[in-house]
Amino acid sequence: MELKKSITHFNWALFFSFLIIFLIGVFNLYSASSLMTEEGIKTFSYYKKQMVWGGIGMGVLIFMFLLDYNKIKNYVWFIYGASIVLLVWVLLFGSHIKGARRWIDLKFFSLQPSEIAKFAVIVTLAYMLSEIETISWKNFFKITLIALVPALLIIIQPDLGSGLVLLLIASMMMLYRGVKEYVFWPVIYLIPIGLPIFWHFLSDYQKTRLLILFNSNLDPYGAGYNIRQAQIAVGSGQIWGNGYLKGAQSQLLFLPEKHTDFVWAVFAEEWGFVGCLVLISLFCIFLYYLANVIKDTKDDFGRFLAVGIFFFFFWHIFINIGMVLKIFPVVGLPLPFMSYGGSFTILSFALIGLSLNIFSRKFIFK
Amino acid sequence: MVFRKTRVIQINLNVLYIFILVFFFVTLLRLWYLQILKGEDYVKLARNNRLRYYSIYPLRGKIKDRFGNILAEDKPAYDLAIIKEDCPNIKEVLKRLSGYVGVSYEDLYKKFISQRHKVKPFRPLILVPNVSFKTLSKIEMNLEKLKGVHVIIHPVRHYSYGPILAHVIGYVAQADLKDLKKNKNLELGDYIGKTGLEKQFNDLLSGKKGLKQVEVNVFERIIKEKVIKEPEPGKDLSLTIDLNLQKYAWDLLKGKCGAIVVMDAYTGDILALISRPSYDPNLFVKGISYKMWKKLTTDPFHPLQNRVIQSTFPPGSVFKLVVAGCALYYNKFSPYKKIFCPGFYVLGNRRFRCWKKWGHGWVNMKEAISQSCDVYFYKLGELLGIDLISEYAKKCGFGQLTGIDLPYEKKGLVPTKEWKLKRFKERWQKGETLVTAIGQGYLQVTPIQVARFTAAIVNHGKLLKPNLILGQKPLVQGIIPVRKNELKIIKNSMIMTVNSSHGTAHLIKLKGITIGAKTGTVQVTNKLYREKELKKIPYKLRDHAWMTSFAQKKNKAYVVTVFVEHGGMGSSAAGPIVKSIYRYIFKRFR
Repeated sequence: MELKKSITHFNWALFFSFLIIFLIGVFNLYSASSLMTEEGIKTFSYYKKQMVWGGIGMGVLIFMFLLDYNKIKNYVWFIYGASIVLLVWVLLFGSHIKGARRWIDLKFFSLQPSEIAKFAVIVTLAYMLSEIETISWKNFFKITLIALVPALLIIIQPDLGSGLVLLLIASMMMLYRGVKEYVFWPVIYLIPIGLPIFWHFLSDYQKTRLLILFNSNLDPYGAGYNIRQAQIAVGSGQIWGNGYLKGAQSQLLFLPEKHTDFVWAVFAEEWGFVGCLVLISLFCIFLYYLANVIKDTKDDFGRFLAVGIFFFFFWHIFINIGMVLKIFPVVGLPLPFMSYGGSFTILSFALIGLSLNIFSRKFIFK
Repeated sequence: MVFRKTRVIQINLNVLYIFILVFFFVTLLRLWYLQILKGEDYVKLARNNRLRYYSIYPLRGKIKDRFGNILAEDKPAYDLAIIKEDCPNIKEVLKRLSGYVGVSYEDLYKKFISQRHKVKPFRPLILVPNVSFKTLSKIEMNLEKLKGVHVIIHPVRHYSYGPILAHVIGYVAQADLKDLKKNKNLELGDYIGKTGLEKQFNDLLSGKKGLKQVEVNVFERIIKEKVIKEPEPGKDLSLTIDLNLQKYAWDLLKGKCGAIVVMDAYTGDILALISRPSYDPNLFVKGISYKMWKKLTTDPFHPLQNRVIQSTFPPGSVFKLVVAGCALYYNKFSPYKKIFCPGFYVLGNRRFRCWKKWGHGWVNMKEAISQSCDVYFYKLGELLGIDLISEYAKKCGFGQLTGIDLPYEKKGLVPTKEWKLKRFKERWQKGETLVTAIGQGYLQVTPIQVARFTAAIVNHGKLLKPNLILGQKPLVQGIIPVRKNELKIIKNSMIMTVNSSHGTAHLIKLKGITIGAKTGTVQVTNKLYREKELKKIPYKLRDHAWMTSFAQKKNKAYVVTVFVEHGGMGSSAAGPIVKSIYRYIFKRFR
């Protein structure tokens, strides 16, 4: 009975807008997995694996869609606790890749606990915010602590991007609930005071990456290399792009991290401004339907879950594209549905499933 | 108690929509800036990332003699190089390589270590330049054991006859900074003609460079190659030089400092051009060592100087032909009028001596030329005056460039009153006119000028451009101001110099050939040494010897001009050389 109603009120618009982006993502990943050699184009299997993650993700999506999301409330602290344990675990025993401990090696799959933490923080905060009216000092400290612990554990991996995005999602969720004026303003004033301290804790390459925003020729073969090559890739796409599989920056490997964080540059180089306009529009349509899920939600938990999910996608999309285009500093965040990555793809599908669930259930309570 | 409801800062759905709009416009604005506004710039940067341009060098044209013998050509040279990215075990390969090339492993390794950072990835690092063909075949047979070793073939200019033709052909060498500044098409490492015909005809010989575009990936591995412009090979150059005659004449001047010009009197074609001592032009191609360069530049006999066009000495009695022509042309003196030569000539309170101590007695013009009487020409000199002689000498091509196709030609000097005033701030002395009239003093001429003038006597007064390039039409640069019968008198006097037993060039007489000549002896110091045996005089004080001559048989006419620095008397030092050359020429053309 419930299932039938869920399906009649299924949010097809959200589902298709996300699916189209994912398919474009796989298509683009095929190009991002390729490189030109003397013998011709050689392609790695990332795009195939990404389809497998998509398949698994779809299963998780269906599970998340069918589940009574209110039951999650009962497991919130268990999920939160587990994610903290995993974050500590990865710091102690995680595999070292490119100077960071971010993955737990499960033989067939490398788990990224920071992605689980993102999920855990969203559900935990949604639960906490559903229990209160507004945010007073007490609530502020409680919620901040809940977000800050995993965020700091992620930042010291180091994974500055995921840590900061966690804090951003948390603060946006709090703002959606409503923050008392006497809490809001002191916190805003504290930010400029806190920034130098924050700066102090950054490593040298992170500082350089921030400074590159203002001086594009800084360290062009070191910390500035990636962003410089990404600018060249995007810019040389011009209006119509170089054509599929013809992006020289990407095919000749000048563009680093091209199948993960810089996948947007591959797309921009090959499809140009017109392609980017289409894809940005698709992302906006997707975000629009995602935001609309919040409308008319009957319960607070569902509403704040939807808010958290919206901001999860919003910040990942904006910061990733913004960093490739040098609007933001390079912090290392994946682009939803486009970047290669198991944990992140499955998490994205799970959150979409949850959002679809919330949308459908609005009608059950009528 | 006042209960005040505090306000709450809150965002709602509309704020989220605004967020989406901000995202949309900010990213698109930035994309518009990067892809449309600055797109062209980034396209250029992307090209710089992956495209490399290399010149393709054309083969330089060959230089041949008039019969097609090759005098200069590009020959392949073989360098052994290593591409470190292709080499699995560099130490092992270098050890093996050292066994084949006879260079110690330590030296090879040292070279590799010192050069490897200067060479881009996937580019060859030259370990052993210019390996012999024998070594090369050994290497080629064992190439599979020498992974990463490559044989690089590149052309090297080769001059088969080295010093014999160095002063004609010159040489090529790597362009220096000055050359690079002058010619924007040149790149560092390009070869250009530095002197001789290689310099004069550099553009023709060098052809046009081609261009190759190479696409590389981030590791500099070459992915694609494309020829954008094919190179245009250089054109061959055929010379008027007769290689065998050149070699023969070269040997005649062995051990001496001097110059020989053999010229076709009717066309100006140069059959042989010798300047000794000389140098090996091949040394410069490979980059001359400082020691060798120093040795060449400080050599007291100046091997780098092309004496045919650059050595300027007084012409000695050879100049009497010019003075005679001048006297005839301006009707100042009858050729049949006789003058008495007592062995000296008095001007004011000075005595000017004739080379023949006891004098020539009564001589007319023909006798004065053939016996080279100084007194006769002192008289003419006094009669004509320096300015008339100078003007006439210039019209005979002296004090002017002949325009031969060789760089750095010198024009010598024909003195005038004005020149002396400017140069020494002194007035011209009448005595100096007499000295000039017998070809001594300030006068300075080059062997090529003398040869050209001599040819004019045979070819009815035409001053021809001395020509080195086969097939060029004779270029008349001027006509000697002299009437036909007057020219005949001069020509006949030269023939008499050979044929008459009193003639100074009697020793070069050859049967069946009409030969005319004029000797010249340039005094280096006072006449005390004049009668002594040559070998007893210190080298630097010996006289310079001139002989210029022509020979005619049937429709052929040649000019041979010989100059021997510190050679002694014109007739005895230069005469036998002239005779040998004519004998050689007419034996061959019989």
